[in-house]
Parts: sequence; C-alpha cells; structure tokens
Amino acid sequence: MNYPFWNIPYLGSSWVIGIIAIFHVMISQFAVGGGFYLLFAERKAMREGRTDWHQQLIKHSKFFLTITGIYGTVSGVGIWFAIGLTHPEATSTLIHNFVFGWAIEWVFFMVELITAAVYYYTWDKIDPKLHLKVGWVYAGASAATLIIINGILTFMLTPGDTWLAVAGTGAEASKFWFAFFNPTYWPSLLLRSAVCISLAGVWALVTSSCIDGDKFPALKSSLVKWSVKWLMAAFVIVPFALIWYLWMVPASQRALLTLGIDTIGAGTFSVVTRIALLIIITSATIVGVAYQLAYKNPIDFNLSTAISILLLALMATAAGEYSREMLRKPYVIGGWMYSNGVRVKYVDAINRNGYLKDSLWVWKDSAGQSSSYSRGEAIFRGECSSCHTLDGYRPIRQLLAGRDRANIASFLKMLHEYKADSPYRRFMPPLSGTAEDVNDLTEYLNYQVNPPATKPQTLAQK
Amino acid sequence: MTQIAAASNSLYKWVDERLGLTEIIAFASHKTVPAHKHSFWYYWGGISLFLFLLQCFTGVLLLVYYRPGIDAYESVRQINFVMHFGWLIRSAHSWSANLFIFAIMVHMFSVFLMKAYRKPREFGWFSGLALLAIATVFGFSGYLLPMDELSYFATKVGLQIPTALPWIGTVIANMLRGGTEVTEFTVERFFALHVVVLPAIFLPLLSFHLWLVQRHGNALPPEEELKPAAERKSIPFFPNFFRKDLGMWLISLNVLALLASVFPWALGKPFDPLAPAPAGIHPEWYFMAPFEMLKVLGNWMPGAAGEIAGLLLFSTGIVLWVLIPFYDTTKENGRRARNAHYFGIAAITLLLITTILGYWTI
Repeated sequence: MNYPFWNIPYLGSSWVIGIIAIFHVMISQFAVGGGFYLLFAERKAMREGRTDWHQQLIKHSKFFLTITGIYGTVSGVGIWFAIGLTHPEATSTLIHNFVFGWAIEWVFFMVELITAAVYYYTWDKIDPKLHLKVGWVYAGASAATLIIINGILTFMLTPGDTWLAVAGTGAEASKFWFAFFNPTYWPSLLLRSAVCISLAGVWALVTSSCIDGDKFPALKSSLVKWSVKWLMAAFVIVPFALIWYLWMVPASQRALLTLGIDTIGAGTFSVVTRIALLIIITSATIVGVAYQLAYKNPIDFNLSTAISILLLALMATAAGEYSREMLRKPYVIGGWMYSNGVRVKYVDAINRNGYLKDSLWVWKDSAGQSSSYSRGEAIFRGECSSCHTLDGYRPIRQLLAGRDRANIASFLKMLHEYKADSPYRRFMPPLSGTAEDVNDLTEYLNYQVNPPATKPQTLAQK
Repeated sequence: MTQIAAASNSLYKWVDERLGLTEIIAFASHKTVPAHKHSFWYYWGGISLFLFLLQCFTGVLLLVYYRPGIDAYESVRQINFVMHFGWLIRSAHSWSANLFIFAIMVHMFSVFLMKAYRKPREFGWFSGLALLAIATVFGFSGYLLPMDELSYFATKVGLQIPTALPWIGTVIANMLRGGTEVTEFTVERFFALHVVVLPAIFLPLLSFHLWLVQRHGNALPPEEELKPAAERKSIPFFPNFFRKDLGMWLISLNVLALLASVFPWALGKPFDPLAPAPAGIHPEWYFMAPFEMLKVLGNWMPGAAGEIAGLLLFSTGIVLWVLIPFYDTTKENGRRARNAHYFGIAAITLLLITTILGYWTI
C-alpha cells in the first residue's frame, strides 16, 4: 500500500494498459499464427513449385518482421511499464509466483526475435530445407510464448483452489504448476490458438490484397483464397472454445455478462454485456466479408476491404480483451486480490487499522497535518481510481450527481458494509477502512460532486 | 448431399417457373457498374437504403412497447431500463437514424461532385433531395417521441421557427403542436406523422428513386467520361457489385453495433413545462449549420433584418442547389462546370465550419 498512485485524469490508468494491450494482442497473436502461416505457405510453395508464391512470401515475411519485431516488442514492453505503474500490488504477486515462468518466456522471446530476422534475411541465401527449419524454430518459439503467457493471464481470472489455499503463506511458488494449469488454462489456450490462426489469415489478406489481380490473377486468386481458409478453420473452433472457457469461469463472474440485458442504467456494470455482444457481431461479419469479398471474388479483393477486415478484427480483439478483463471483477486476481489492489484477507485488518495507516501519499500542511479532504483524496486514488476517474472513464462526478453529502455517505456505508445482498458486490470491491476513512472519502467526494464556495484549506495550499 | 442438392434444385425450379428468377439474375448479371478510383462513393446510396431498412425493422419493434401521449416517457423508460435488449433496439433506432441522414448527405455530396445530376438523371437528383428533406422531418418528429427534458425543449424551440413566417406561421405552428404549447397532443401528432404520414410519402418516393437508378445506372465522373470507351472498366452488378454492396452493409451494421453498444442512447429527465430550459440546448447536428448561420447573422444584424437575411440566404442557397441540373448541363468541363464544382465545395465547407462552430459555442 506504499506504492505511489499513478493518476491519469479522464482516461484512467486502466485504459493505459487497455490501449497498449489491445494493440499488442493484435500483433502478438499475429506473431504466433503468422509464423505457422509462413511456414505452411513456404512448404506448399516448395512442394508445388510455385515461384510466384515464393516471391510474394518474401514480401509478406518482411511485413511480418516489421510489424511483429518492432510494434509487437515495443508494445509488449509497454505493457510491463503500464501494469507496474497501474497495478503494482498485482504485478508484485505475479512476479513472486511466475518469475521462472517469465524467465522462460523471455528466452523464447529472444529465440522468436532472432529467428524471425534470420528467416527473412536468409531467403534464397541458404538451402530451402534449412530455411524451412528456421521457420519451424520460429513457429515453435512463438507458440511457446503463447503457451506460457496463457498460464499467467488465466491465473489472474481463475487462480484455482490449490494456489489460493497457500496464497499469502510464502509457499505460493510451490504450487506454481497448479496456478499455471488453472481451470481456464486449456479452454483459453484453445481459444487463443484459434484466434492466432485466424489473425494470421487476416494480416495475410492485407499483403495479398496488394497483388495486382490484372497482372497476376493466378497468384492473387490462389493466395487470397488460401489466406481466407485460415480464418474459416479458426472460426469453427472459436465458438466452442468460448463456451468451454465461460463454463470454467466461476458462475458469479460469468453472471456479469448478463447484467446489461435489460438496462443501460449508470453504475450497473451493464457495459460488459454490450461489449461482449460486439464480439459476436464483429466475428460473424469478418467471416461473411472475408468469404463473400475475398474467397468468392479474389481478383477484385482490394486493400481497403482488407483494412476493413483488419479493423473489424481489431474491434473483435478489443471487445474480447475488454470482456475478459471485466470478467475478473471485483478481483484483479480471482479470490485473492480486489481490483483496487487490496488483498481479500487484509480487508478486516484495514477495517480495524485504517487504509492510510502506512501510506506516505497524503497531502499535509506546513505543520505536517493532514485534513479530512486530503486523506479522502488519498483513499480515492488508492481504492477507487483503478476503475474510476473524476470526469472521464466511469466518471465519479457523473455517477454520484444529484446526491447530497448524507446520500454519498450512505452509499459509501453500503460499499463498506459489503452485505451479501448488495448489488455492487457482484462487480465492486468493498470500501476498506475505518469509519473515519469512510467519512474522509465522503468529504472528498462531496467536495467533487457538490463543490462549496470556498476551497478546503489543504487544497488551497497545494 | 446429392439428395439435398436435388431437393434445392427442384425448389428453385418451382419458384423460378412462377417468379422468373433466372430472368432476373440474367438481367442483373448483364447490368454493369463502372469501376474506377471513385467507385467507393457508389456504395453510399446502398448504405442509406440499408440504414432505412434498419429504421423500419427497429421502429416496428419499438412500436410494440411505445405508448404515445401522456405515457410516452414512461414507455421509453421501460424500453431502456426494463425490457430485455430494449436499450439495444432503441439505441440502434436512434443511431441508425443519425447514420441514415449522414449517409444520405455523403451520397448527395458525392453525386454533386461527380456531376451525376446531369441529363438524364435530373429526376434522380430531385427525388434524392426530397428523400433527404423527408428524412430530416423523420428525425425532427422522432426526436420528440421520448418526451424527455431535452426533446421537449428542443421541439419547443424548433416549432417557434415557423412562427417567423408572416400570416400563416402561427397557424402552422399551432397545427403541428396541437395547441399553443408542446404537450402530449403534440407527441400524438408527431407519432402519427412519424409512423404513418412520412412513411406513406417516403416509400413511393424511394421506389421511384430506385427505379431511376435502375433505369439510368451509375453515372461516370467527368474524368472517366473523357476516357475512350475501351479504357473504361466495369464490373457486373450481379454478383460482383451486389456482393460488395452487402459487404458495405455488414460493415455499416458493425459501426452501428459499436455505437449502440459503447454509447447507448440515453434518456433524460421527464419533461417539466414549468421548469426553465436546460443550459446548452441545441438542435440535432443536421440542423446545426442553419441554426448557427442564423445566430451569426442575428449577431451582425440584430432584429428582423437578421432573420430576413438568413431566410434569403437559405432560400437562395437551396434553390441554387436544387436547380443545379438546369444550369450545369454540358458534359465538357467548361467554366460553368468548374463554378458548379466550386459551389459544391463551398457549400460543404460552409456546412462543416458552421456545424463545428455551432458545437464549439454551445
């Protein structure tokens, strides 16, 4: 609780991770599926003696290397920076449990990056069979990165009872494999593998759409059709994998997907349903557009249509990643740590001793005294700002608009008591702290929602 | 599999004998659409049509629960906050209404700049403009139906505009309102207008417009017309263009789904005729440009002079716009054709600037 808070007004720190992560997933999953695409395409070209394919694959592998080697790596490191700043407590838990997992991951990253470069720069310079072997090494290493990171990502949603039983005892790493092969590991791996294969096809459509259909009709037709097949195969698997995945998610969290069926009311967490619906419609559209405009009419297939499919895939990826993140609510690590970084087992202690007992991040006046307002501000940043901003994403001023001080106080009391029948319990963490903490947060929020004529003293001194 | 194929073949044959499907497909296959670097603009008519069909579909579903009159607000509240996926239908209806008008505008400006209003397509131009005008009346009448605070006051302000007309202005305004004030009677009138009167005018006009498109085909932009016939490219309407059209429809559907999901259409407070108008009240975006122009002219020329100048400016602009097929008639790109082109660019620029300025100064 002594980490400084990374305050990002309007956007919210969670969206910093979100934007980088969505961008990264689009590329990193291409890096996995695209490796196999190049490999099988090269093998097919060799077997069938297609020199026109060979030349096109050289161009595609340059595109592949640029996209994955530059934007994939930069955004991957960006996620690390962002999660470290936004969720230091959760990042700490992950590092303590998966440090060797991550070490292995980084080894595979290195192999992946090197072989991707070797693969591109050795076209026509080494024996074709050896070149194909380089492709196999790349594909294997990139698949290994997915196999490992999938364990860590799914752990955050469903860490599993075995790991939870030892969590906080110092023996967590002894249950590494239980945490790694957690309940959603296999369905998630199947789901992500299928998406990787389909994304390889989506990105390949971008480069194959640029082939001049009038000059090279046979090349364009065969390559576009072959690329579309990569989409079709994956979209057969995705619906079943998604159902299996959701089946393994705890029922209470799965129920979050249904909150928005009958309402768009503010503060009801209905957005998850709406965003999840986008996955279905965008995925179905990708299949429809790719089949009708690419597979059935490959010669006329152009770059703008390919970009449209790519943007739809980006939309589906964004909706999927957002929904997956939201399914974790009210936790950031299922059953162990709430989304605001408070560990479930520490809530009672915080309620007794106060949220700010060890905090260094409270504004103080020249005499070293904090005010109720400044303590409330520190509590807001610590307990609320990982999900809320004042005026932007999930804006607290708008959500509490129309409430007076007594009304805000009773609302916070409800969050603090966290009764079993509280509707907010389904997606929000409890408000941890003493009665004074609740009062301080009330003071701060009331000032934001119903600003007084004069500013509090400590605020004026800032 | 063979049995299924045989069954579907005999079904097709049965329908074909009665409806002549093969003839229709053969006719559509012979029809061609020009293929050039401006072909993208050909899709906007189809996108407008698709959004209109969505309007009909979602509108019919809303009719099931909507209750005009005194219950209007409560029924929309139930749709938004009680009915399963009611919010989705309402959001899709409201967003597609806005996208519909946007798509028609893009279609109109692309037709203007590609000079597709020239002989023999004059009636296509006139009917298209009439469809746009009716679409904005659809928007205005639909806006009041939820009867929340914003729609009430926006309609109240909007219905004051006809009163500026001498002699008949007040009579028209009172007739539309169903009295001297906006009340539940106004909602009932607007509802009848929205779901019966306007569709009854719009649908035959739309059929006429589509028939003209079918009859004359897609117009070539001037630079393509200058090319020798052998250098011009085209694709069959069926299945090539039709397939792309459907692809654009699907993409439009996704844009709509994205907007409806991320920004579901909100419902404000119930209207209170005794309450003061909320701050920042403004018309819908497609009326923002004339609203802003009137405001600017009113600042320059206070009083009736500003209103008259505004009315004259709009009337002249609209008349010039509507009558363009009559004074830009030749195929060659002479001085008159260039002036018409500049007029189009000036109109688009003016609309954009005044719309942005309007939102900027709310």
